[in-house]
Amino acid sequence: MKKKPKLFAAIDVGSYELSMKIYEIAGGKEWKQIDYIRHRIDLGTESYSRGILSYERMEELCHILREFKGIMDSYRVDDYKAYGTSAVRELKNTMIVLDQIRTQTGLDIEVLSNSEQRYLDYKSVASAGYGFEEIIEKGTVILDIGGGSIQLSLFDKDTLITTQNIRLGVFRLKDQLNEIGAKPSHTVSLLEEMINDQLSVFKKLHVKDREIHNIIVVDDYVSTTLCKYREKDSNPAGYLSRNTFEKLMEEKFMKEMTGSVIISSQLIKCTMETLGAGYLWAPGVTLCDGIAYDYAVNNKLISAKHDFEQDIAACAKNISNRYQGSRKRGEALEKLAISIFDATKKLHGLGKRERLFLRIAAILQDCGRYVSLTQVGECSYHIVMNTEIIGLSHAERGMVANIVKFNHEEFTYYNELANSTAIDRDEYLIIAKLTAILRLACALDSSHKQKFTNVKVSLEDNNLILRVDTDKNIELEKGLFDSKVKFFEEVYNVQPVLKQKRRI
Amino acid sequence: MAANKTTKVGLNLRNPDYYLNRELSWLSFDERILGEAKDKTIPLFERLKFLSIVSSNLDEFYMVRVASLKDMVDAGYTKKDIAGMTPKQQLAAISVRTHELVASQYSTYNRTLIPALTEVGLTVVRSHEELTEKEGAFVDEYFEENIYPVLTPMAVDSSRPFPLIRNKSLNIGALVKRKGDKKTETEFATVQVPGVLNRVVPIPCESGKKIIFLEEVIERNISKLFLNYDIICASPFRIMRNADLSIDEDEAEDLLKEIEKQVKRRQWGKAIRLEVQDSIPKKLLKILTEELQIEDEDIFKIDGTVDLTVFMKVYGLEGFEEHKNGKFNPIPVSDINPEEDIFASIRKKDILMHHPYESFEPVVNFIKEAAKDEDVLAIKQTLYRVSGNSPIIAALAEAAENGKQVSVLVELKARFDEENNIVWARKLEKAGCHVIYGLVGLKTHSKITLVVRREEDGIRRYVHLATGNYNDATAKLYTDLGLFTCNEAIGEDATAVFNMLSGYSEPEGWNKLSLAPLWMKDKFLALIKRETEYAVNGEEGRIIAKMNSLCDQDIIMALYEASNAGVKIDLIVRGICCLKVGIPGLSENITVHSIVGNFLEHSRIYYFRNGGNEEYYLSSADWMPRNLERRVEILFPVEAPDLTARLWHILDCELKDNLKAYFLMPDGTYSKIDRRGKVIFGSQDAFCEEAKEKFKASVKDVKNTRVFVPETKPSEG
Repeated sequence: MKKKPKLFAAIDVGSYELSMKIYEIAGGKEWKQIDYIRHRIDLGTESYSRGILSYERMEELCHILREFKGIMDSYRVDDYKAYGTSAVRELKNTMIVLDQIRTQTGLDIEVLSNSEQRYLDYKSVASAGYGFEEIIEKGTVILDIGGGSIQLSLFDKDTLITTQNIRLGVFRLKDQLNEIGAKPSHTVSLLEEMINDQLSVFKKLHVKDREIHNIIVVDDYVSTTLCKYREKDSNPAGYLSRNTFEKLMEEKFMKEMTGSVIISSQLIKCTMETLGAGYLWAPGVTLCDGIAYDYAVNNKLISAKHDFEQDIAACAKNISNRYQGSRKRGEALEKLAISIFDATKKLHGLGKRERLFLRIAAILQDCGRYVSLTQVGECSYHIVMNTEIIGLSHAERGMVANIVKFNHEEFTYYNELANSTAIDRDEYLIIAKLTAILRLACALDSSHKQKFTNVKVSLEDNNLILRVDTDKNIELEKGLFDSKVKFFEEVYNVQPVLKQKRRI
Repeated sequence: MAANKTTKVGLNLRNPDYYLNRELSWLSFDERILGEAKDKTIPLFERLKFLSIVSSNLDEFYMVRVASLKDMVDAGYTKKDIAGMTPKQQLAAISVRTHELVASQYSTYNRTLIPALTEVGLTVVRSHEELTEKEGAFVDEYFEENIYPVLTPMAVDSSRPFPLIRNKSLNIGALVKRKGDKKTETEFATVQVPGVLNRVVPIPCESGKKIIFLEEVIERNISKLFLNYDIICASPFRIMRNADLSIDEDEAEDLLKEIEKQVKRRQWGKAIRLEVQDSIPKKLLKILTEELQIEDEDIFKIDGTVDLTVFMKVYGLEGFEEHKNGKFNPIPVSDINPEEDIFASIRKKDILMHHPYESFEPVVNFIKEAAKDEDVLAIKQTLYRVSGNSPIIAALAEAAENGKQVSVLVELKARFDEENNIVWARKLEKAGCHVIYGLVGLKTHSKITLVVRREEDGIRRYVHLATGNYNDATAKLYTDLGLFTCNEAIGEDATAVFNMLSGYSEPEGWNKLSLAPLWMKDKFLALIKRETEYAVNGEEGRIIAKMNSLCDQDIIMALYEASNAGVKIDLIVRGICCLKVGIPGLSENITVHSIVGNFLEHSRIYYFRNGGNEEYYLSSADWMPRNLERRVEILFPVEAPDLTARLWHILDCELKDNLKAYFLMPDGTYSKIDRRGKVIFGSQDAFCEEAKEKFKASVKDVKNTRVFVPETKPSEG
């Protein structure tokens, strides 16, 4: 018999709107939205300007969340996830607010960093399924329009090239228009000026001479309307040519004098024009869809078609590329580190997510070279800390940055580290374990010449045997090996042994 | 204001000459009802009922429409209506027409109905002076035992102010003089005819039945109420007050309490009509006129019994069955299998119900079963007018007690049902339902119920949408249509409707439903325009629309344009119709039918030919500005071919009706068709017959299946 479908609620505590979607996840690929509740609430204004929420706002927030909880209960949902985005994130007293919400409503709200949020938005697009893989084969930009900012993610040949945050959110633009005191008749031309200026920078820095074919739109304002149009039967719903979109915009959206719709469609129009995209796809998804998709995949309720980890790794590679890191060395290190990680699972007990951190750290381990050859660790750390890596939370990025740093510098122990950063115990241990592996991998490539194309790693008694298969001279590696692997011994209490298998 | 639109031949569509005033059109409707009271082919007691409805309709008309026009005049508002009349002009015209209507009503009453009643054995003693001595003694005893204890006589003198005369109550006014004091002035005294007692007092008699009205008995005994006074004269009177509630919803902190307060205040509204017997002494009338500050044109001098709504009670008297229409029993809905739960029947197919020919029971059962069903998660419903002791309310309360999430929107602003609805709202809240008292600035008139069920293969939503109220009592008297469906697209929309009613944002798109006041009107205008375009392109354009009232100017203009383009338009409008038919170059292709039958026509059906891809819609909304702009209404499509065939049949029969249908004439009057040489056809009768046949057939089916089929030896051939 078929399993009874699971009911899941996704809550998005957005800057200008609270929304909740209820999903029915039947397993396989079947899942559908069965309810969508939205309530306008302006958390953004108070959060961005004062950093705290007023009593009344807090009351309203809790009141609505209590109602959401009631609706969830009435559906008897099996599980839920609730996330706060930028307005919650930018509060000075986030913890206090979240605790109050927990005691007053019984809801646990987690805070998403911008990169996590955008990653979920991106997942929501992929979750729309139909056509995503085909669309991103050609040059494509995902335009994710939020209240405070927009996120542009550039794809080429189904690989994520870069993702950038630009402060052109709908409400930010609206506020700016209000400040200027723009007349309705001037709105459009003013918007164009405000938007195009920043978009052209993005184009110059990141798109360069790539040909952009499609724009994928994620927003709360027009895409849900757009997604109902189907230009040709062979196209997915919401896949429109620029002409059709501009016609629709003129006929429909511009008449609707609600500002958000106009601003959002103007953003889409400008992006298409600046990047020269001929087509647009509005799958009509929101953050809630990403939350549900992520939940369903993580809980193995549905299987993901798209490899999202590959996107994160690709993103890291592009960062490395920007700082002129050697692609070959990065790839070799990544491979070595992963071999060691996989062989020592019993020792470190870490999972898939940590494996990803290691990959990214390996890719980015010397990006600081771009700035200074003597302070590679410190500079790499700062670059990582200040570069958005889609799909990583702030805390996760911090771990990666530390791993990168300690790959070059002396390891700082917990007491000292905890004094200067927000690293907790668990994170600290992950950093230590992954640093040890990365250092060992680097030891195998001291010459930076990728002498070992094939390393077999195995755990035998108290030794980690690294069998390298090469005819090259590995004097340098061998010589430096012992000193470089001390930290590994310290962390795992296992002795790495390098064995060379020569081909005769 | 939109620019003036003109037709091909240059007619200005906004020309007031092309419209009828809505109040006068409404009075035409009341005149049509009176026409039924006059119709000799109708059983006598049914005619009494129509006579009574004329009165109750007029009461409401005064309390609401006349009151609001008077408010406009008082506020110095002079804007003209679509027929080009100022409020003052409208009031003047109304006064003339209502006086004529009432005169005609009483002439029917006195000259035709009373003698006819006597003929069939019911004697109505219209004045206590006509009682025999024996009968007099009987009623006097009745007075002392039953009436006297509940009376509150009030005299007016310098120390006691003029008392509050309650809205719509019947009273007896008297001029009295203190006994033994020849010098003093006469004083005014009054007593309310108690509403708690039956106004119809039967008098024993040898053959047939005899009745007298309560006020006559009181008048006869009035001296017993004012023992220290001599009664100079006494006469019944009745007043009507301004009953329009004015509530500042933004200011009102607790709408429930505010409405309660206002309902009480309704008793104090300005008097706007005074009904007295024409025999009332001048002096008594003068006192009433002065104290109540009533204008001459608002005084109705009546030849006979004041307040004929009492004949609804007379109708209820036992016996005289041969003078009443046989009671029609609604038949069970054939698509609902009583052997299984109602949800299973709905899963099989969409179910259309035509009340009162078909039973309203399934709607009540729908809620009842949902309340008990283990898989039901939530029940959501809008309630506008519910019956006394409503089984639906009881079922909702039970559901909440069973742990279902029950959300109910109780429209507290439903006129004249406010008090009633407050009681229900409280009861539901107590049971644990989530009660919404309507929306600020809007009346929620839509009729929708959503039941969310968690089934084996996931969430399934069952929706009931209807043209009429969730009122099991009126469902036996009003013709309405209801649809059960578990169509996913409609289910999604229904969820969105309730989210909106709970104060959440509107979804960006709707699948099937159109909502007023958001964009139902645009939808209607677009549908009408589409037919116009078909006609312009040489194709057939066709609109049939059935509703209670038509007075929205934008819609009428669109209909004029459509007619002008060659669209054939048949309208079945029971009540107000501001559109004019037969204006050359404007509305030659439009007909307006008005069916006034035994059942109150209440369903709203909208048909558009759409170049052959016919579309049928049902709605809670009329084509009135208040429906389209100030109320929450739902328009829903009916798509299943077997159901649209039924809707077509209903419209077709109603257009064929030549028994109960009146036709709007180019001069704005209504008249029945000349039936000579024609087959007489009444749509309501036809629907009743069809229902009976259908029921018989279904019973036969069951019997047939129970015939044993014996196995026999195959015949050798």
